[in-house]
Amino acid sequence: MRLPALASFLTLLLLAAPFIDLAFVTSWHSFGFTEGDGSAIVVSLCYSLLALILIIALGTPLAWWLARHRVRGLWLVDALLLLALLTPPLAMGLLLASIYGPYGAAGSLLEHAGLVLTNSGPAFVLAQFYSALPYYVIAARAAFEGVPRELEQIALTLGHSPWRSFLHVSLPLARLGLAAAIALAWVRALGEFGAVLIVAYYPQGIPVKLWVNLQNIGLGAVYPLLWAFFLIAMPLPLVLGLAARRRHLI
Amino acid sequence: MRVDYHIEQPIALHAAFDVEGFTVLLGTSGEGKSLLLRAIAGLTPARGEPFDGMDAQHRAVGYLPQGYALFPHLNAWQNVAFALRGSQRRAQAMQLLERVHMAEFAERYPATLSGGQQQRVALARALARRPQLLLLDEPTSALDPVTRDDVIAELIGEVHEFGIPALAVSHDPHLAAVADRLVLMHGRRVIQIGSPAEVYANPVNGAAARLLGHRNVHRGRIEAAKLVWPDGGMAFAIDGRVGADMNVDWTIDPEAIRVVDVRDGLSDVIDASIEVRQVIGRVTQLGLRCGRGRLWVSVPQDKAIPESVALQLPAEAIRWWERDT
Repeated sequence: MRLPALASFLTLLLLAAPFIDLAFVTSWHSFGFTEGDGSAIVVSLCYSLLALILIIALGTPLAWWLARHRVRGLWLVDALLLLALLTPPLAMGLLLASIYGPYGAAGSLLEHAGLVLTNSGPAFVLAQFYSALPYYVIAARAAFEGVPRELEQIALTLGHSPWRSFLHVSLPLARLGLAAAIALAWVRALGEFGAVLIVAYYPQGIPVKLWVNLQNIGLGAVYPLLWAFFLIAMPLPLVLGLAARRRHLI
Repeated sequence: MRVDYHIEQPIALHAAFDVEGFTVLLGTSGEGKSLLLRAIAGLTPARGEPFDGMDAQHRAVGYLPQGYALFPHLNAWQNVAFALRGSQRRAQAMQLLERVHMAEFAERYPATLSGGQQQRVALARALARRPQLLLLDEPTSALDPVTRDDVIAELIGEVHEFGIPALAVSHDPHLAAVADRLVLMHGRRVIQIGSPAEVYANPVNGAAARLLGHRNVHRGRIEAAKLVWPDGGMAFAIDGRVGADMNVDWTIDPEAIRVVDVRDGLSDVIDASIEVRQVIGRVTQLGLRCGRGRLWVSVPQDKAIPESVALQLPAEAIRWWERDT
């Protein structure tokens, strides 16, 4: 039984190594933010929250539907999700610019309607949405698949509508997996760099600002913002995980 | 209450019978019994009465599936209150739990309850729906064999007390024996309906006898006014006039078979060897190998069993039915 413990310790040490190093290389005596870091934090926090809300609102029905329905051609949906998942972020940015940019099919139409999807807040959210949605859908689908269908049906026989059955049975029973899905989507959206760089260089969020700081100033300007990134990224998944496990199930 | 349902998918099934008091629909696995309950509950597409065409949430049924399907994230009273609305739902749930003698377990989660306790909570939850019909899927399957009879007795007592017709589907002859009304299903159709006393006394065919748990039901053939038992490799006399030769199912009550000593040299005996002894109360059930077949014999415990046994099957105790196939 010692071998797994030793292997686990070594794996954790490998995982922790860059962060331990970060603690040493950060010059704590001259720790300070550069110009624009504050607004990057606000941009990342606000737009990531907005993207997360959209991902949950649109991704949850899709995940539930995929978990509960076996239709012909489902492999196509699986392939689509995988496609979105495996597209390199930079390439995803290019594809988004191609369709939602000022000369794109959707972009020009939306621009007429007053929605600019290049270098704007909505463009920022759009890039995050596309980057994190497949992760959320795949994890949430697995969470819903873990809920016995019989329990949802029992709720129907007890007089609940399908919607109430979803709210009172499917959601609470899938909550551990859904919490993981939300946490995954959050960190993926917040940390997105490639797609955001292409479609929304401005307004600058933390990942792009880290790169800008590195280019313009150097590593010394990267580390403080990185610490700030950890500070704002960590609470949500941490709290979600704890809250989901707080009431013991089964 | 009259139940008359047609199901097309995933298997074709038609069942029509009356549910009175505690009615048991007895059939082997794969007959579509559970499917019929799901159809009545509105959980699988079907046509029929009652509740034809209604969505599941609008059907006044209390459905208890196998394993009871209590919500694992809710405690006992929350499970019962699931079907209730309004500010009084907790009090109403507690009243129902009291009626099924589970009030003291109100705060317990399903995983910490025994099979019988879960069943009572599920019954209280189903009753909270104010059903016109209770549907119970294999209610004995998740019960501990030691306490099963007591749990079933309580269940039937509660069903009678609430005065709601209940339809239980099962393959368990023990449950069938305590029903108010018994419906036998074989080959995806109803083959016999009646009180347990009537049905047990006169099963309509071999399949019915097997369903009812008769132990000595075998295939045979009537040839030249004798019953040929191919598995036993023998033929014996039967009572009554028999016309043409035919394939039959035949049975004999284990108590009617006489165990004799092979050394006595009696005629009309069957050689047998003891495979298993099963002591049930004051009776010993002997499983005896006869050729490729087996016969069960009931012997009072105080009766000596010879070392080398042979069996006598009185002709008047043998019953047989013509077999379709």
